[in-house]
Amino acid sequence: MADVVFSSVQKQFGSFMAVDNLNLDIQQGEFISLLGPSGCGKTTTLRMLAGLEFPTGGEIKIGDRVVNDVPPGERDIAMVFQSYALYPHMSVGQNISYPLKKRRVPKAERAAMMAKTAEMLQLTPLLDRKPKELSGGQQQRVALGRALVRDPKVFLLDEPLSNLDAKLRGHMRTELIELHQRLGRTMVYVTHDQLEAMTMSDRIAVMEGGKLQQFAPPKDVYREPANRFVASFIGTPGMNIVDGALRHEGGRWIFEAPGISVGTQNLGPETRPGNAAMGIRPEGLSFGEGPIEGIVQLVEQTGHENIVVVLVGTDMRLTGRTAADRVWRAGESVQLSIDSNQAHFFEDGPNGIRLNRPLSSPGNQEAAQ
Amino acid sequence: MLRKIAFNLFAWSIVLAVAFPLFWMLVTSVKPQFELFRRPPTMLPETFTLEHYWGLLTETKFLSYFWNSIILSTTTTVVVVAIATIGSYSLVRFRYRGRETLAFLVLFTYLLPSVVLILPLYLMLVNLGLSNTITSLVIAYTTFALPYALWLLRSFMAGIPEDLESAALVDGASRLGAFWDVILPQLLPGIISTALFTFILSWNEYLYALVLVNSDEARPLTTGVMNMLISSFNIEWSLLMAASVMMSVPLIIAFAFLQSYLTRGFGAGGVKG
Ligand SMILES: Nc1ncnc2c1ncn2[C@@H]1O[C@H](COP(=O)(O)OP(=O)(O)O)[C@@H](O)[C@H]1O
Ligand SMILES: [Mg+2]
Repeated sequence: MADVVFSSVQKQFGSFMAVDNLNLDIQQGEFISLLGPSGCGKTTTLRMLAGLEFPTGGEIKIGDRVVNDVPPGERDIAMVFQSYALYPHMSVGQNISYPLKKRRVPKAERAAMMAKTAEMLQLTPLLDRKPKELSGGQQQRVALGRALVRDPKVFLLDEPLSNLDAKLRGHMRTELIELHQRLGRTMVYVTHDQLEAMTMSDRIAVMEGGKLQQFAPPKDVYREPANRFVASFIGTPGMNIVDGALRHEGGRWIFEAPGISVGTQNLGPETRPGNAAMGIRPEGLSFGEGPIEGIVQLVEQTGHENIVVVLVGTDMRLTGRTAADRVWRAGESVQLSIDSNQAHFFEDGPNGIRLNRPLSSPGNQEAAQ
Repeated sequence: MLRKIAFNLFAWSIVLAVAFPLFWMLVTSVKPQFELFRRPPTMLPETFTLEHYWGLLTETKFLSYFWNSIILSTTTTVVVVAIATIGSYSLVRFRYRGRETLAFLVLFTYLLPSVVLILPLYLMLVNLGLSNTITSLVIAYTTFALPYALWLLRSFMAGIPEDLESAALVDGASRLGAFWDVILPQLLPGIISTALFTFILSWNEYLYALVLVNSDEARPLTTGVMNMLISSFNIEWSLLMAASVMMSVPLIIAFAFLQSYLTRGFGAGGVKG
């Protein structure tokens, strides 16, 4: 059952289009992420869902109710803000029970619910403190507590982990996943961090420039990016993208760029000859014998692997990964090959759509499953 | 080291220069009449007396003026703070055309000397049937205290994160509820600074009170004291000094209690404004 639906939602600030024709269908109990670079309209989308901004077009539904004109307090949602937005003059306990107070929950019941939430988030010893007497991680938990205390239909989280240090962030990620499994509530999670989106979500909505680029499970976003933007945005190190041209020859397509030529049969029927781009993830490059000649420019050692940047021709840089025990020297000549099964092809332009046949379509090895 | 001593000497000499008239006021108010004009003057009173205070309270209209001033300043403060709070909220939170221009225009009133504004204001108040009332002074003081109060509070208001209010709305508060529960407590230092500022301004105002009010029923302390103690023949120095001391009392009390808020407040306002 659909729990949250955006239909052709649009938000304009003056003449600036912050969110453009957004369609999203979020299932009940789903954890979805809005992922995209800063300024792409994630927060605006979330605030529209919360009722803090009003769409200038389209319709938002929560459950089967159109909520366009419903004030935030009546939408049965809870929100965690990037800044936490804890009420500075209230104690931790008062912060957590504020939503209950505003909903006229009787005092005794309020205290019990607050105590339960505090217990769950290990905030019990801190209940009498003021927010400014807490560490960042503790403040974050209080913000979560204020959202969790009244069991709303939908949870909205706006970059809740972005102000924590890396270690705590990893820890909180796990906690949020557990929390979602335990509560089974719909969660809409805004982040610019693809690792968070990939690890936590059932589906990811990738946005750029106010437009939805793709809405799919993490695995699909990674393996079948809808377009060049998604392909380059997802993955670390990022996908290598090479500009060149496609031509048809002897029943197959050949992509050519200076120093590179890759053949494939896996392109969809809408493919046309002409300018195009090819994308290949670092793991799709293999070192050793191969048709591509290059010079090692840079090596990054992460411990369990080496990230190698190779200069091909005069200005093309390809990034590959190799085992950690392979020793590289900058300036060394290498030969590379591209696994054409792992190559993606895109129409020309920064948001050019992906031309490959879907992985599950007939004529593909994985069709069997 | 030497520099430090020189600096301290300098600072203390300034403090002394500022404090001496206050000290002299206090001393004069407790000297008996015959000691006042003695030469050389006595630093500390040889005879200590409270007769001037007693005389002021029992034989003059001091108390009635004092009461007028209290009502006048308190009402003005409440009115100004209330309007400035709501106004600054509007200027900071709502986006509408001409918002910045409006905020700027408000300050424009300070470009005109108040003498220029008095006559038109006087005529308006007479037409409204408000001449010689405390209300007329409240209105007049509001016109010149409000713009500054608005600007002061605006900078405080701008320092309150919008997310706080959004959070309250999501948590189920109405807009008014969010304002009451979240904005006002955050604004408290600003409100106190603004209130104190307005109160002092109203308490010490002279010119408007002189022009707009010409009856003892409505006269505040400033003009009242001048009126009764300074005639063209004689200045009742000791009574005047006793009156001045008593006029300062409410302000000193207010400062003593709100001092920490005030310094914090003007600091914040200064940085963000
Ligand atoms: N209240 C507003 N008025 C004008 N422009 C806004 C407003 N809120 C957001 N924007 C603009 O809309 C765009 C998207 O903002 P936002 O949703 O906050 O991005 P994100 O959360 O993805 O970083 C930004 O370019 C931002 O400047
Ligand atoms: Mg944002």
